[in-house]
Amino acid sequence: MTEVHAPHELHHAPAPPPTGLRRLTAPGYLRAAWLMSLFWAIGFGLVVFFRWLGGYDPILQWDVITVVAFLTTMPVGFLAGIGAFDYWLYYISGRPSRPEDHSSHGATSWRAYFRVNTDHKVIGVQYLVTTFVFFTIAGFSAMIFRAELARPDLQFVDTQTFNGLISMHAALMIFLFIIPAFAGLANFAVPLMLGAPDMAFPRLNALSFWLLPVAGIMMVSSFLVPGGAFATGWTSYAPLASEQPLGQVFFNMGVQWAGASSIMTALNFLVTIITMRAPGMTFWRMPLLVWANFTTSLLVVIATPFIAGSQFFVMFDRIMHTNFFTVDEGGYVLGYQHIFWFYSHPAVYIMMLPGFGIISEVLAVFSRKPIFGYRLMALSLMAILVLGFSVWAHHMFVAGMAPWLRVPMMVTSMIIAVPTGIKVFSWLATMWEGRLHFRTPMLFALGFLSMFVLGGLSGIFLAAVPIDIAASDSYFVVAHIHYVLFGGSLFTVFAGIYYWFPKMTGRMYNERLGKLHFWLTFIGFNGTFFPMHWVGLRGMPRRVSDYAAEFGDWNMAISLFSFMLGASTVVFFYNMITSWTRGPRAGSNPWRALTLEWQVSSPPPVFNFDEIPQVVGSPYEYGVPGARHAVLNGDRTDVGAREGEAVR
Amino acid sequence: MRARVGSPAVRRGSIVRITVYGVVVGILASLVAVLIPWLPTSASEEMDRIEFTFWFTTVICIGVFSIVAAVIVYSVLKFRAHPDDDRDGPPIHGHTALEIYWTAIPAVLVTAISVVSAIVLAKNDDAGPNPLRIAVTAQQFAWSFEYPGEDPVRSGSLVLPVRQSVKLTLRSLDVIHSFWIPEMGQKSDAVPGVETTLVLTPTRVGSYTLMCTELCGLGHATMRARVQVVERKDYNAFLQREAAGGGQDENDGEAVFASAGCGGCHAFEPAGTDAEVGPSLDDVAARAEATGVAADDFIRQSIVDPDAVVAQGYQPGVMPKTYESSLSDEQLDALVQYLGGNE
Repeated sequence: MTEVHAPHELHHAPAPPPTGLRRLTAPGYLRAAWLMSLFWAIGFGLVVFFRWLGGYDPILQWDVITVVAFLTTMPVGFLAGIGAFDYWLYYISGRPSRPEDHSSHGATSWRAYFRVNTDHKVIGVQYLVTTFVFFTIAGFSAMIFRAELARPDLQFVDTQTFNGLISMHAALMIFLFIIPAFAGLANFAVPLMLGAPDMAFPRLNALSFWLLPVAGIMMVSSFLVPGGAFATGWTSYAPLASEQPLGQVFFNMGVQWAGASSIMTALNFLVTIITMRAPGMTFWRMPLLVWANFTTSLLVVIATPFIAGSQFFVMFDRIMHTNFFTVDEGGYVLGYQHIFWFYSHPAVYIMMLPGFGIISEVLAVFSRKPIFGYRLMALSLMAILVLGFSVWAHHMFVAGMAPWLRVPMMVTSMIIAVPTGIKVFSWLATMWEGRLHFRTPMLFALGFLSMFVLGGLSGIFLAAVPIDIAASDSYFVVAHIHYVLFGGSLFTVFAGIYYWFPKMTGRMYNERLGKLHFWLTFIGFNGTFFPMHWVGLRGMPRRVSDYAAEFGDWNMAISLFSFMLGASTVVFFYNMITSWTRGPRAGSNPWRALTLEWQVSSPPPVFNFDEIPQVVGSPYEYGVPGARHAVLNGDRTDVGAREGEAVR
Repeated sequence: MRARVGSPAVRRGSIVRITVYGVVVGILASLVAVLIPWLPTSASEEMDRIEFTFWFTTVICIGVFSIVAAVIVYSVLKFRAHPDDDRDGPPIHGHTALEIYWTAIPAVLVTAISVVSAIVLAKNDDAGPNPLRIAVTAQQFAWSFEYPGEDPVRSGSLVLPVRQSVKLTLRSLDVIHSFWIPEMGQKSDAVPGVETTLVLTPTRVGSYTLMCTELCGLGHATMRARVQVVERKDYNAFLQREAAGGGQDENDGEAVFASAGCGGCHAFEPAGTDAEVGPSLDDVAARAEATGVAADDFIRQSIVDPDAVVAQGYQPGVMPKTYESSLSDEQLDALVQYLGGNE
C-alpha cells in the first residue's frame, strides 16, 4: 500500500500504540476477544436465568443459547471491542468526544486496514478485500458441488452436505459478495465523484463494514454446527427451514447482520448524495455511477426490512414456537414467499444497478465519447427502481398463489425489459463512432453487455407465465440467474475493480494478466452456464445431488468448464496481489477520465480534495472542445504536475 | 452537437455490414436453437402450447440478440483505436427519434409475448367441462395418488388415460414440494395448507417420470414417481386391478411399503429399492438385536417414533412422524411383518 503524506494529514497522526494494561482497553482485537467472551456470557446468563425463572426444562436449551449468546450478544461484543461504538459511547456518556480527532481516519500502513477506520477510501478497500474472501469460500463450495455433480449419484459428499454447499454458495455470493462488493466500490468512488471529503456519516460507514465479517463468519461457521450448514437454499423456504438442523439459524441471523450493514450503507449513500455534492454538482451533472447508487440505496432502504422480517418469522417459529408458517396452527406458508420475494426481487436490482453505473463510466471513458442519452439513462434507473417493486410474484408462478396475480406480474416483468433495453441500446450508441481502447475494464464491460443481454432475454422466457411454469425450479433458472448475476453483476465488479485499481492503490495492474483473466472467465462462464438452459428445460431440477443419467455428459462438461472458471480467479488474485505490491506507478489519471476522482492523486489525499471543487458541466464531455466537468484548486487542471507532490 | 446519427455517421456501407453481421449472428443463433434439443418431446396438449410460446419468444429474442451482437461486433472491429491515439470520439449526446424507437419497439415486442402468454395460460388452465380428477398427495419423499370412483383407489404410481383432460389437485403433508413431468410441461407446488391444481391432457402413450422440483429435504433429488400414460381401456383395467388390491390385499406389507413411500428413502431388497436417505432396512432385524429389543417392537417404534433410536451416521428429525396416524393398525402390522420377515 502506498503511504500518503499530504501536508495537512500530519496533524492527525495516529496515537502511539498502547502499552501494558491499556492494550486490553484500547480498541482492537485483544479487547474484542475479552468483550466477546463477556457478551457471550451475558447472553448465556440471560437465557439460563429466564429459563430458570420460568421453570422451563431443560434450562440449557442450546438452540436458544445459540441464537442469543452466539449470534446476537457475542457479535455486539466484537463490534464494541474492535471500537465501532467508541465515539458514540463517549458522546452518550458525556466524555470529551474530540470532534477534531482524525486518528482513525486514513491509512499509513497495511495495519490500518485491520482496524476501525472512518476513511471511505480505506473502508472501500476493506469492503472489497473482505467480500473477495467470501467470494473465494463461495467459489470453493461451488467447485466441490460441481465435482459432485459431474456424475449422477453421490460420489464425494452426502446429501445434507451437498444441500449445505449449494445454500452456502448462493448465500455468500449474494449477501457477502455481490451486494457488499458494489457497496465497497461505491464507498471508494462516490464521495470522490461528488467532490466530497468523505461520506456523510464516516463512523456509521465503519460500523456498516464491520458488520460484514460478522455476518459472513456467522454463515460459514454453520458448517461446524451439529447437523451441518443451513441446507434449504438461499431462499430458505418455510416450513422446511423451520424444521432443519440448528445450522439454519446461522442463516436467519447472518442475514440480519448483513442486512443491517446494507441498510446503514444505503442511508449513508442517500444522505451523502443528497447533501454533499460539490457546488455546481446538480443531479443532472452527477456521474451515472452516483445515480446508480442513489437508486440502489432507495431500493435497499425500502426492501431490506422485508427479508429481515421473513427470516425472523422463520426463526421465531423455530425457537419461540410462534406459528407464522405452521399450517396446523393457522400459519400461512405462502406468506413467507411473498415477504421474501418482496425484498429478493428488488435485491436483483440491488445487485444490478450499481453495475449499470460502473459500465456507464467504463464505456464512456474507453470509447472517448459522452454517454448517449444521459438523462434517459438516469430516468431508466428510476423506472427500474419503481417497477422493481411490482414484479416480485413472478418468482411464484407455480407456488400456488392467487392465480389472478400471474398475468399482472407477467406484464410488469415484461415492461421492466423496456428501461433495461434503453440502457443497453444507449451503451451501444455510446460506443458508436467512438475511439475504443480495449483495456481490461473495457473487455469486461463488453463481456457484460453481451452476457447480460442473454440473461435479460432468458428473463423474458421466465416472465412469460406458460414457459415459466415449465422452466421454474429447473436448471434453466440456474442458467438465467448466473447470466444475470455472473455475466451481469460479477463482470461489472471486475470491470470496476480493474478501472479503479490505479486510483485505489496508486499502481497499475498487469494488462496481459487482466486480459487472460477476462478470456478465461468469459469462456469458462459460457461453457459452464449455457448448457444449463436446455439441461433444465429437458428435465433436470435445480438443487439436486442426483439426477437422471441422460444428463451425465452435459454435467461433466459443465463441471470441467466450472473448474476453468475457478482457475481464472487465481489469475485475478495473482494479478491483484503482485500489482498492488510491485506494479508500476499509475499516475493520477491513467484513463484520461473527466470525473472528479481522477483529478486528484492516486491514491487520493486523506480528505480527497485540498479544496472543494467547483463543478461546471457534465462529467462526460469527451470530444467537446474546451468542455470542463469541474474547476479544481484555483483552476489547476494540469493534474499530471500534481502527481509528484502527492504520491511518494 | 445533437443528432449526428442518421446523417453521415451511419453510412450506407456500415448499414450493409451491420446487416451482414446481424444475419450471420441470427443464423448461428438459429442453428443453436434448432440443432440442440432444447425441449423434451412433448407429451401433452399443454406442453404443445408451451412449445409454441417458447418458439414465438425465441424468434423475437434471436432477432434482438442479433442486432445487439452485430452492433458490438461492428463497433469492436470498426472503432478500435490505436493505443497511442489519444483523440476523443465525436461528442454525440443523444438522438431523440432513436431513443423513442428503442423504447417503443421493445415495448411492442414484450406486449406481443405477454398477449400470447396470457392466452396460452388461460387455455392451459382450462380443464374443460368434464375432467378426470385425481388427488395428488406429496410428502417427504414420496408421491401418492387417489383416483375417483365409488370406492376411491389409492396408488403410488400415476396412471393417466391418453387424450383425457385431467385436473390434478395437489396437497402436501409436510413441506413444499413441486409436481413436474418435464414432457408435459405443467408444474405446480404442493403447499401445506393450500390446495393447488394443475391441468394435464396427455397425448402420447408411454412411461414418464414425475419429479419434485422444490427443495424439500434430504430425499429431494430422488423424490420421483412413475407416470404411465395408457389407453382408456388399460386405465380402466388398472383401476379395477387396484380396486381389487392389485392382486394383493391393500393391507399387504409390500403394498403398504409402496404406497407409504418407504422406498423413497430406504433401501430394501425385497421391494427392490436402493435409496440412501435413510438407513438400509435389509439388516433392520440385526440392528434391533443390538438394542436388545424384540425385532417387531423395534421396527414398530422406528415407524411411529423415528427419532427414538437413530441409526449411526443419520440425523434425527428427517423421517416424518405421521405414520402412526396415516397408516391403519392392520397396515402397520403388515408393514412390521414385511420388514421383520427379511432376516
